[in-house]
Amino acid sequence: MLLVRLAWLNLWRNRRRTLITGASVFFAVIMAIIMRASTLGIYDNLIHNFVSFSSGYLQVNQKGFHDEPSLDLAMVFSPGLIGILKEEGGITAVIPRMQSFVLAAGSGQAKGALFMGVVPSLEKQSTGLHRRLCAGSYPESDTAQVAMLGVDLASRLGLKPGDTVILIGQGYHAVTAAGKYRVSGLLQLGSPELNQRIVYLPLHCAQQLLDAPGMATSLALQIESPAKMEALARRLRPWIDTTQLELLTWKQLFPELDQFITADSAGHIIMSGVLYLVISFGLLGTLLMMARERTHEFGILVSLGLKRSRIAFMLLCESVFISLMGCSAGIASGWLLVRWFHLNPIPLGGRLKEMYLSYGIEPVISVSNRPDVFTVQAMVVLFISLALVFVPMVKVFQLQPVAALNS
Amino acid sequence: MEQNTTVIDAHELTKIYNGRQVPVKAIDGVHLHLEEGEFAAVVGPSGSGKSTLLHLIGGLDTPTSGNVVLAGTEITRLSEHKLIDFRLHHIGFVFQAYNLVPVLTARENIGFVMQLQGLPRSSINKRVDELLAQVDMIEKADVKPAKLSGGQQQRVAVARALASRPRIVLADEPTANLDSVNAGKLLDLMARLNREEHITFLFSTHDPRVIEKARRVITLVDGRVVSDTRPG
Ligand SMILES: Nc1ncnc2c1ncn2[C@@H]1O[C@H](COP(=O)(O)OP(=O)(O)OP(=O)(O)O)[C@@H](O)[C@H]1O
Ligand SMILES: [Mg+2]
Repeated sequence: MLLVRLAWLNLWRNRRRTLITGASVFFAVIMAIIMRASTLGIYDNLIHNFVSFSSGYLQVNQKGFHDEPSLDLAMVFSPGLIGILKEEGGITAVIPRMQSFVLAAGSGQAKGALFMGVVPSLEKQSTGLHRRLCAGSYPESDTAQVAMLGVDLASRLGLKPGDTVILIGQGYHAVTAAGKYRVSGLLQLGSPELNQRIVYLPLHCAQQLLDAPGMATSLALQIESPAKMEALARRLRPWIDTTQLELLTWKQLFPELDQFITADSAGHIIMSGVLYLVISFGLLGTLLMMARERTHEFGILVSLGLKRSRIAFMLLCESVFISLMGCSAGIASGWLLVRWFHLNPIPLGGRLKEMYLSYGIEPVISVSNRPDVFTVQAMVVLFISLALVFVPMVKVFQLQPVAALNS
Repeated sequence: MEQNTTVIDAHELTKIYNGRQVPVKAIDGVHLHLEEGEFAAVVGPSGSGKSTLLHLIGGLDTPTSGNVVLAGTEITRLSEHKLIDFRLHHIGFVFQAYNLVPVLTARENIGFVMQLQGLPRSSINKRVDELLAQVDMIEKADVKPAKLSGGQQQRVAVARALASRPRIVLADEPTANLDSVNAGKLLDLMARLNREEHITFLFSTHDPRVIEKARRVITLVDGRVVSDTRPG
């Protein structure tokens, strides 16, 4: 206790130096937090946009469907399973979808298309599909006999809202499927590819068309906290009959996206590393000066009977105090800033905005307020302060009292 | 009372420094014997080895040969770790200047060693109050060293050295930074504490007015004891 108090008092012998060092820690922590929070926010935004209209963060489907998406792997998902999923904390929506391929034809033109049967009201509620509408209207009811087309597909087929689209394909167990639907609206989705290929039909119509009553090819799960996805998946797996079904995370569904993010974040981690390296030198300089200018004092302390290890402990406390002060101030302000930007995302302008829009992504820089953004910085700074104080500590252990007294 | 108990027994003490060109014999075969309650001065010209001798006796430095027995313990054979503990409990030090911990008040400085020893608060406070009175520092008890005069700082240092009732107080030129008035006062104080607390003092000096107050004067020249007298 005495030594902890001494350490604290020692910090204020050169108040300015301590404050400057603490401030450098403070700014580094804030910058690292903002950097990390905004990149994570961008990733989260990207992932969210990417998965919402394809798989959900998690997807349940019949075994093998992901590797070879065949309509023959469509199935009736038991209400029991759906009930279990809905009751699980963490999951905000269980969205059945029917995915297949069809030939879509308009006035004269025909084109292969990706076919998606969805429950319109459910998509509206949980993925906001209606917000992607760029012309026409969104189906009013889940049983409406209408289709929505990707905007580029529609223009290729020469169709606009109100026209009729003809869908021809293979139904469940190879029955022939063909139907005529009024085009209710056109969609601008997250990827150019989808815009050129997608046809949406209410699930109910899709089941009729494909002769697959009550069936779906997958259940997309929207979740509360993307950061806790893996844990959630681990919790869910025991409930799922894995002889028949599989539960996949978006990382398994889209490994390329995961790889891209991993590679991209490596760059950011290196940048934070450089930032921390810079403050490390500042901190080390202060710690060394604080130790050197007290050599005589350490000599006195040793002659009084204070063990070197306890002097080293005092230095350790001093270093931890400086970093803790800078770090806690940095985390507190960083938290406020992140919270502010989380609630008020920065709108993008100009070409960046165009680019985001063309991918159907909200044109904002949103920041993530995941707790690990903060805890990681705190741990890194604490670790640095513990590692750096090692240098003056070694000097204390080598201290010769007489030489110290004479200095 | 246990009179005439040996507190310091140094035997054939030699310290050779490996100087830049030639080795320097700072202490050369010194025998020294101090009984409990003595008030002895080590004198001699600059470079004669006074500081070195006190450092060796206090275990701050290790002799090249010879040994030191303090209050029955041969400190020259103690491990570094045990030696520091021995100092904590049995030796008080006063140096020429800057003895005090700058961030602590006079009161806290005096109590510092006792706190390190882990003594209970109440007994520390009692002893500190007593010493503050003895060194006439009650009024400045809560002042930090930077705001004390040199004489006041040295008085606090003496009080701290005595606080845990060590067997011996070693003082290396405690008056060197003081004017003669303050030097005299400090010596009077040390002499009084030596009598009242019955603690052995060994101090070095080359101030003739300080030497006068010593009851035993050990003179060093070139690391050797050339005379050992008891004036008066
Ligand atoms: N660390 C050292 N390395 C080499 N020589 C040293 C060292 N310390 C002291 N000496 C030498 O040992 C001799 C005795 O020094 P010491 O400091 O004990 O003398 P002193 O009597 O205390 O002198 P002063 O009155 O100036 O304080 C001197 O010749 C000094 O130069
Ligand atoms: Mg000296």
